[in-house]
Amino acid sequence: MTALIEATNLSKQFGGRGLFGLGGKPVRALCEVSLSVARGEAVGLVGESGSGKSTMGRVLLGLTPASGGSVRLDGTVIANLKGEAARGLRRRMQLVFQDPYSSLDPRRRVSAQIADGLLAHGLATRAEIPGRVATLLDQVGLPKAHADRYPHEFSGGQRQRIGIARALAVGPDFLVADEPVSALDVSVQAQVLALLADLRARLGLAMLFISHDLPVVRSLCDRVVVLYLGRVMEEGPAAAVFERPRHPYTRALLSAAPNIDPLRRRRRILLRGDPPSPANPPSGCVFRTRCAWAVAACADAVPALDVAGPGHRVACIRVDDPELAPDTQPDGHQ
Amino acid sequence: MRRINPIPLAAVGIIALLALLVPYLGLPDPVRIDVPNRLAGPSWQHLLGQDEVGRDILSRLLWGARSSLTVALLSATIACVIGTALGVMGGFLGGVVDLLTIRAADIVLCFPPLLLALLVVTLLGPGAATLIPVLALVYLPGFVRVAYAGVLSVRHQEYVEAQRALGVGKLRIMLRTVLPNIGGPVLVQFSLAMASAVVLESGLSFLGLGVVPPSPSWGLMIGAARSTMAQTPLPLLWPCLALTLTVLSMNALCDAVRAAVDPHGVPPRQRRWLLPALLPGLPFRAGASLAVRDLTVAIDTPAGAVRPVRSVSWSVAPGETLAIVGESGSGKSLTGLAVLGLLPLVARPEEGAVLFGERELLRMDEAALRRLRGAELAMIFQDPMSSLNPVHRIGTQIVEAIRAHRPLSRRSAWQEAVALLARVGIPDAARRARSFPHELSGGMRQRAMIAMAIANRPTLLIADEPTTALDVTIQAQVLELLAELKAENGMGLVFITHALPVVAEIADRVVVMYAGEVVEHGPVAEIFTRPLHPYTAALLRSAPPEDGSLPQAIPGTVPLPQHLPAGCAFAPRCVSRRDACEAAPPPLEQAAPGHDTRCIRWREWQRLPVTQGAEA
Repeated sequence: MTALIEATNLSKQFGGRGLFGLGGKPVRALCEVSLSVARGEAVGLVGESGSGKSTMGRVLLGLTPASGGSVRLDGTVIANLKGEAARGLRRRMQLVFQDPYSSLDPRRRVSAQIADGLLAHGLATRAEIPGRVATLLDQVGLPKAHADRYPHEFSGGQRQRIGIARALAVGPDFLVADEPVSALDVSVQAQVLALLADLRARLGLAMLFISHDLPVVRSLCDRVVVLYLGRVMEEGPAAAVFERPRHPYTRALLSAAPNIDPLRRRRRILLRGDPPSPANPPSGCVFRTRCAWAVAACADAVPALDVAGPGHRVACIRVDDPELAPDTQPDGHQ
Repeated sequence: MRRINPIPLAAVGIIALLALLVPYLGLPDPVRIDVPNRLAGPSWQHLLGQDEVGRDILSRLLWGARSSLTVALLSATIACVIGTALGVMGGFLGGVVDLLTIRAADIVLCFPPLLLALLVVTLLGPGAATLIPVLALVYLPGFVRVAYAGVLSVRHQEYVEAQRALGVGKLRIMLRTVLPNIGGPVLVQFSLAMASAVVLESGLSFLGLGVVPPSPSWGLMIGAARSTMAQTPLPLLWPCLALTLTVLSMNALCDAVRAAVDPHGVPPRQRRWLLPALLPGLPFRAGASLAVRDLTVAIDTPAGAVRPVRSVSWSVAPGETLAIVGESGSGKSLTGLAVLGLLPLVARPEEGAVLFGERELLRMDEAALRRLRGAELAMIFQDPMSSLNPVHRIGTQIVEAIRAHRPLSRRSAWQEAVALLARVGIPDAARRARSFPHELSGGMRQRAMIAMAIANRPTLLIADEPTTALDVTIQAQVLELLAELKAENGMGLVFITHALPVVAEIADRVVVMYAGEVVEHGPVAEIFTRPLHPYTAALLRSAPPEDGSLPQAIPGTVPLPQHLPAGCAFAPRCVSRRDACEAAPPPLEQAAPGHDTRCIRWREWQRLPVTQGAEA
């Protein structure tokens, strides 16, 4: 598969400049992250808060400039593009937000908000707008008659559909969905997930699905990338990563997710404490301070992403250690 | 925006109308001198009397209003348009534009407004034409600042970012999206500037730097009447009265505009609502630490009372965890708040009883309830940031919680607070106790909240979505902590959530609520393996399954309490619906000991094999 969007060694730092260089230590939100999404593919980006997953989405879309590395769309480097070329790219990549309340302007009708993109890119004349808006609303399963309502007249799930319609209006190839269902009720979550899966199948959309909810990622994505403190810990086909996670962090993350079957409570690898501050990451492997399998050598060097199976890569120096065989538990944990 | 209070609006309207219509009122010429009748009292020709050179005071007052209001309106409008434009550009574009506009405005803001006006007028010479740009300059920085602050908060809203992602131009975003969203504060600033410009114009005219005589102006009138004050005070009274009334009504209008723009401005209507009398002896689960019986919560609306919680019953035993699950709008949170007497002011318990040990909480007065809350009965919420006071150290807040209920010295309460923080797993608790809430991570804040809730060893803890805002790893830590605390103290736990996997993990029994009613109630193992209500079954199917397949959605949404269907509330969304379901509301029936369901087809579901439950 050729990559539709390809990020190479992407880094992003926040702060550290400040007035007269007194801004304090820079925060490394992303550190040499490479990621590619093929046409029609759905990739899940998972991690805790502060892992840099939302920053990744915004850097890919060019909403936040990267500090290092490059992003290519269909082979064209998209950093530094200005004017018409940049606008053309905007049209091909869109964003769906987490919060269905703050992502819609409370003071404008939904039809006007959906039409924004169409007008900005000259994709429709004023006369064509109502028809196009109706088609888009229909596509996301909302009645056409609701076009002239204001956002507050809709429920959370309906608002999220409006946000998706707004993103689809410009006919993108690539959609970044940043926690699109986390703010929704479980039954509505399922509706929006079904809509996203359906749109992906019908329109051949490539998707980067950012979420901390592992079961949701699994239900929608072909591949998964696990991020911790701005670095990729593990990536691979969803089935492989979820069935046989190799990185200690992925294993802890999976075991922490509660199981819906009360008779099958999982043996849990409980992570102690919070992730360290991205302004002051640990040396070597950034996960070692919370890792139950950490050894002295983990502090020495940043582990490389090594191949652990077909399309499956893991950044852990102990990945082939028998102590870390998939069915073992770390000492001192039950 | 709500409707503006009509009284100040009418007052300002009348003043403006009078000023506008002066030339057509047939009043005497305001500059015609009539020296023989100087300082004459009120008469039919001159309703308010005549001034020191015999000019008609009423006419001068109204013509003066005309010039005052014109100057005020024009200067405030100019300041508003230019200032808002500068503030929006500075805030939205940032960088050099920000520096130029905002810093320039700040420099102007450094001069005392009266001195600034005096300086410019002295340089340019007096007259209404100079006054307008001078006053505009004085009020400009206020608008720049208000618009700038508004833009900074709107700029990072996701709907603005969405427009950037769509490729919408900057000018269009500023005009169509940012400007309407900062309109409220700018409008308030405008009415403030108007009122203040009227005063400043009079002040400058009084000093001889504003309107040039003999043109009428309130400031000039006050100045002239001052010298004849000893002979007759009336000519001084009228312009002062006019000035006061105008400024007062403008300030009142300003308040009314603010109230109409501010969505939080609803004044509280009533305090806690007590049910009239004790109910006759109710049977309740022996040994229960909390029992809710037939609780109905009502909200009075102009169209009659709506009931978002109807006839809900459940109980928790010591050391037991009861989970209340349901979608938004199911009434699960309102039930929790009703138990604690913390219902929002518009809602009131209408029927039922809440028995906490021997006491009945719904009929307890606020003072007694306050002694109970935070002591034997505690609650934790979804968002710890909204429940912790941002300006106090967390240790201090826990000390307050302890000392509100127990007579301890500050020192020993502080030691206890540190011990509590250590108990809930906060590392380096002695140092962390001195932190402010914003210095802690989300997981730490939730732990601090839990430490505060368990500070007085409650016998019952109500937790409303305590882990929804947390990462899975932190959620696992918090769930484990709650389980430990429960085991340690024999505390009862009511866990309100919409996350079914969390329920499976932590609860002993489950109450499933839908549209304000309990639809199923039973032990967690039975509910999750053989649900006896189609809604429970549908909820279970809507959680993403282990095998990676897509979850099955429940079509439609929860009905609003004012639009409930005639029969079973879930019938419109139910795949197992029969005609009988829509005929009458089904009763809550006991299917097995300790397992109730509100579905008329429960016997069919009971015969299905385990894990299938109610029809798919």
